[in-house]
Amino acid sequence: MSKKLYKIISKVMNINIEEINDESSPSTISNWTSFNGYVLLYELESNFDVKFSIDETMDVKNVSDIKRHLQNHGVILDD
Amino acid sequence: MMNNEKSLSEYILDSQKLEIDNFKNKIKLALLSSFTINGLSESLKVKCSEKEISCLTYVAGYNQYNQEILDETSELYKFSPDITFLILDTRSIFGDLFHFPYSITKSERENFVNEKIDELKNLIKKFTNTSASKLIITNLGLPNYSPYGIAEMNTSYSFHDAIIDFNKKLKDEVLEMNSVHIFDFFKFVIKYGETNVFNFQNYLFGDIKIALDYIPHLANELMPYIISFLGLTKKCIVVDLDNTLWGGVVGEDGFDGIRLGPQPPGNAFVEFQKYLKALSKRGIILAINSKNNFDDAIQVIRKHPHMILKEDDFASMKINWGDKVSNMKAISEELNIGLDSFVFFDDDPINREFVKENMPEITIPDLPHDPSQYSEVIQSLHDFSIFQVTDEDTNRGKMYTQQKQRNESQKSSSNITEFLKTLNLEINIKKSDSFTIPRISQLTMKTNQFNLTTKRYQEDEIKKISEQDKKLIGCAQIRDKFGDNGITGVFIVEKTNSDEWFLDTFLLSCRVMGREVEKAILYYIINEAKKNNVKRLKAKFVPTAKNKPIENLLPDSKFIKEDNFWVYNIETPFNMPEFLTLRVE
Repeated sequence: MSKKLYKIISKVMNINIEEINDESSPSTISNWTSFNGYVLLYELESNFDVKFSIDETMDVKNVSDIKRHLQNHGVILDD
Repeated sequence: MMNNEKSLSEYILDSQKLEIDNFKNKIKLALLSSFTINGLSESLKVKCSEKEISCLTYVAGYNQYNQEILDETSELYKFSPDITFLILDTRSIFGDLFHFPYSITKSERENFVNEKIDELKNLIKKFTNTSASKLIITNLGLPNYSPYGIAEMNTSYSFHDAIIDFNKKLKDEVLEMNSVHIFDFFKFVIKYGETNVFNFQNYLFGDIKIALDYIPHLANELMPYIISFLGLTKKCIVVDLDNTLWGGVVGEDGFDGIRLGPQPPGNAFVEFQKYLKALSKRGIILAINSKNNFDDAIQVIRKHPHMILKEDDFASMKINWGDKVSNMKAISEELNIGLDSFVFFDDDPINREFVKENMPEITIPDLPHDPSQYSEVIQSLHDFSIFQVTDEDTNRGKMYTQQKQRNESQKSSSNITEFLKTLNLEINIKKSDSFTIPRISQLTMKTNQFNLTTKRYQEDEIKKISEQDKKLIGCAQIRDKFGDNGITGVFIVEKTNSDEWFLDTFLLSCRVMGREVEKAILYYIINEAKKNNVKRLKAKFVPTAKNKPIENLLPDSKFIKEDNFWVYNIETPFNMPEFLTLRVE
């Protein structure tokens, strides 16, 4: 399932999957602007059928945060 | 059908992948807005590229539209856009009154709307004085919300009334302006629903007032302005008959067996025909390309009680066993319209594919299997948009029917001059004024074949030219015994100096080509030059892929070649054919 997550990140941020890891964030991915970050969460909501709260949205600083919030919504991410 | 749209992230990604395209058609768009509209530029670029249009955009900073418009040295003006979209929203315009409209009195609410309109009026004035760009302003969406709830409807000049009043006043304000138009955002929200278009989380997180999923839909609805600006509007719809205009196959099911009438499923075809008829009344030409026994099909068209489209609605009918590509070619030649101005409706995917492969310039929408969806397909096409509907547009159907009669009459004449003599052709030269300017611009935008220089002019440019003494501009209305062809000729002459004038633009609509009416218009121009003691009329033929028909106009009219130009010595006698009657208004 991480693969699905990485695929979405790679698409929205227009980067290769290999470049993505838990620490990926706006400081390591140049396309990760505040707007694209928001588009990413929006895309994750429709792909994983979850709804992030505004607190969760504000809390996301890197990929690991995204995983944590997805897991809190019951999404199983196996590596 | 409406939800076939890709997600915004795909547009953003696709826009990054767009190669530096170099299409023939180019457009520069400026986007100004009162809130975050990220993604709109990317969506528009991708959609333009799908239509083979190279699109450059300038996106003004967040809520910077006032500054950008008021500052003459702003990046907006430096970019010199062709079209500028100003996207406003109810919350920004109404401010605190959005939540507390009843904290002030009714008359204060009225004053508030008038003030906001005045502010916008100033912006529009500043913009139109500073830029040659078209300006498209959105009107305001109507929120379902009112603090008064159901009492809203019992309140005089309520919150909602104020929004509607704002929209009406804005429309009235720009109604007479050629370069300013309103995008009906109010209707956009009706189409998709406020609960979809507006998303609280998007709004609160990023001041995104159009939900991300709906940005591509908005881009879709803005495309008609681009299509229309570039003169890419389609002119003709060609339809198949069996299973397209009616259900079933007339050759097999018979006159009584086809499905067409007030009951389902026949009503789906009636509905579809009504949309086609409405387009034809607005100036889109209809034609038939069908594999059928002519007699079977024409009987339905002439006699079936539930046919909405009648024989007169079709400018050309190719009903035979020939292949669809040859028929299409014949229609194009008969109507004198290029294939790139055609849209083709056919229920059969194999026919569609066959035509698509041989004639890629024709637009061929996929018709769904279910005829109840045909009307939705035709509604979703933006290819027929024009900024302004002229008299010529609304009468075009009639004019093509007259054209069919002319063609019949030509067949019975022994030679062309004999035929032209019988037409009683009348050429009426008209000035460029508020009545004719939209049509003059439209002709410069649309005319390809009989067009000497193929210069395109937007309405406001024509308006500016008309106010100058340095130019002689006018148009020609052509009448004959079969009827009025409307304004079908345009000329713009530059008065270079006291000795020499230059023919900047000279064109005839394809509808009146081959009747020598161009001689009457040239005769008029030469006479005007003579009256002003001008010695030489200079002209230039700018060849394009399409304007071969006008190639010989200048040499045939005794213009003499000088370097890259053609020059007419005003002393040379000019003979206008005797069968033409020239009038000057």
